[in-house]
Amino acid sequence: MITATTLKLNLGPQHPSTHGVLRLLLELDGEKILSCEPDVGYLHRGMEKMAEGMTYIQYLPTVDRIDYLAGCFYSELLCRTVEGAMGVNIPERIRAIRVTLLELNRIASHLLWIGAFLMDLGALSPFFYAMREREMILRYFEKLTGQRMMYNYFVFGGVRKDIEYLEDIEEIIKILPYKLNDYEKIITDNLIFLQRTKGKGVLEPTTALNYSITGVNLRASGVEYDLRKTDKLYEGFEFTPVVLEGKDSWARYKARILEIKESIKLIEQGVNKLKENTNFEQKHINPLNLKLPEGEYYSEIEAPRGLASIYIKSTGEDKPYRLKWRTGSYYSVNLLRKLLVGEYLNDAIAIAGSLDIILPEVDK
Amino acid sequence: MDINELKDIFGECELCQDKVCVKSKLYEVLEYIKNNYSFNVLKSITAVDLGSDVELLYRLFSTEDEENAVISIKVQNEADSVIDLFESARADENEIYDMFGIKFIGNEDLKRLYMPENWEGFPLRKDYVQDDTRLAWNDNSDNA
Repeated sequence: MITATTLKLNLGPQHPSTHGVLRLLLELDGEKILSCEPDVGYLHRGMEKMAEGMTYIQYLPTVDRIDYLAGCFYSELLCRTVEGAMGVNIPERIRAIRVTLLELNRIASHLLWIGAFLMDLGALSPFFYAMREREMILRYFEKLTGQRMMYNYFVFGGVRKDIEYLEDIEEIIKILPYKLNDYEKIITDNLIFLQRTKGKGVLEPTTALNYSITGVNLRASGVEYDLRKTDKLYEGFEFTPVVLEGKDSWARYKARILEIKESIKLIEQGVNKLKENTNFEQKHINPLNLKLPEGEYYSEIEAPRGLASIYIKSTGEDKPYRLKWRTGSYYSVNLLRKLLVGEYLNDAIAIAGSLDIILPEVDK
Repeated sequence: MDINELKDIFGECELCQDKVCVKSKLYEVLEYIKNNYSFNVLKSITAVDLGSDVELLYRLFSTEDEENAVISIKVQNEADSVIDLFESARADENEIYDMFGIKFIGNEDLKRLYMPENWEGFPLRKDYVQDDTRLAWNDNSDNA
C-alpha cells in the first residue's frame, strides 16, 4: 500500500552489490523497509527450453553455465541422472575424482562469497585475500581441464581424462587452513563486522523450511540437513555437517568458513583414495546414440547454494521431453520478501548478500 | 505415508510408480499430509506439458523423518494455489505461470517472470510457436 509518507525505491538491477542483475522494489518509510518485491529474469537464457531441442551430450557443456561459480555440481547432476537411467555404476576412482573436484569447487565458490560479502559491507581487502586463495584453485582447474570456470570435465560414465597434479591439490589444502585463520583474525571478531551482521537478518528455522531454504543458510539456522550424508557419491567419506544456532548473517558467514574446513577434510580423503587406487577405468556410454529409456528421472545434490535437483522426463527419444532444474538461490530470492521487512535500508545489502544469491542460477 | 488412508479420506488417490496421483482436492491433500505426516518442506513444483493437460509434481520432504513424497495432479489451465501452506510455492507457481500459463487460484502475485511483460504465449508449452518472428535473431524477424 502506497501512502504519501512512503517511498518506492529500486535497488538494482545494476547495483554493484547485487552480484548479477537482481532488482528489488523496496517500499520505504524513512529508512525502514515496509515491503520488498524481487524482480528477476534479466539473465534468463532458457536452459530448460534449450534442453528440449538438444541431445544429452549437446546439452552437457551448457549446464556449467547455470551456476558459473560452481559448475561442477550441475554437470554432476546431469551425469548422475543419465548414469542412473542407463543403469551404470561409476567406478571407485571416478567417484573419488568427482568428490575431490566438487569440494574444491565448493571452496572456490565459498571463498568468492566471503570476499564479495565483505566488499558489500565496505571492507575491500578481504576480497583480494579471498580472490588470491580462490586463484590457486582456479589455476589448478585450468591446468587440469583447460578451463577456469566452465570445466565441462564430467562426462556420462566418468570424467574426460584421469586426474593429474595431485601435488597441487595437496599444496592448496596445506595452505588454506592458515589463510582461513588469517581471515578469522581479520573478520570474525571485527567490531564493525559484528555490528553489521550480528542479529541482522534473523532466519527462524520454521520460516526457512516454509520458504524451502536449504544448504548452508538452513544449517546456520540450526536445522541439520546435509544431503551429502545420504549421497551415494560420498559413501566412505567422513565429515561432520556444520550446524550453527545463530540464525543471523554472522552465523551464515561462520558456517561457510567452517564448511570450507570440512571440505578440506573431504579433499584430503579424496586425494588419499586417489593415491591408493590408481586403476583408472571409465564406464562407456556412447553419447552419440544415447537415448534414455522412457520414464521419469530425478536426482539431487548438495550444491554450495542449497539443494540443486534435476528432473528429466524421457519418452525414449534422444532428447529430453521435459527437463527441470531446481536451484537454491531462486528460493533465497523469494525469502527476501520476508527477511527484509522491518529492517533498515543500509542492512538490506548485508542481509541479501549473506544469503549467497547468484543470479544466473535464479534465472536459469 | 499411507496411501490407503488418503484413499479413505479423499477418494480418488492412487499410487502410480513412486508418486501419489490425485484427481482433485490438491490443497486438501497437501494440507492433510503436511499436518499428519510432518512434511514441512515443499522442495519444488514441476510442471510437465503432456499435450492434453499439464501434470504438476509437488515434491515434499520431511526433515523429521528424512522422507520424500511426490504428489501429482493433472490440470488444464487452472490449479489451486498452496501458498497458504508453503510460502516457497509462491516462487514455483510464478515460474509455472510464466512458462506454462497455469493460473493458480488464490495467488495474487502471478506475473511474467522471465519473459517480458507483454509477451504472448508460454514457452515451455508443447504447442508454443517454434519459429518466433519476435526474436531478433530470427532471419524472418519483424525487427530485422
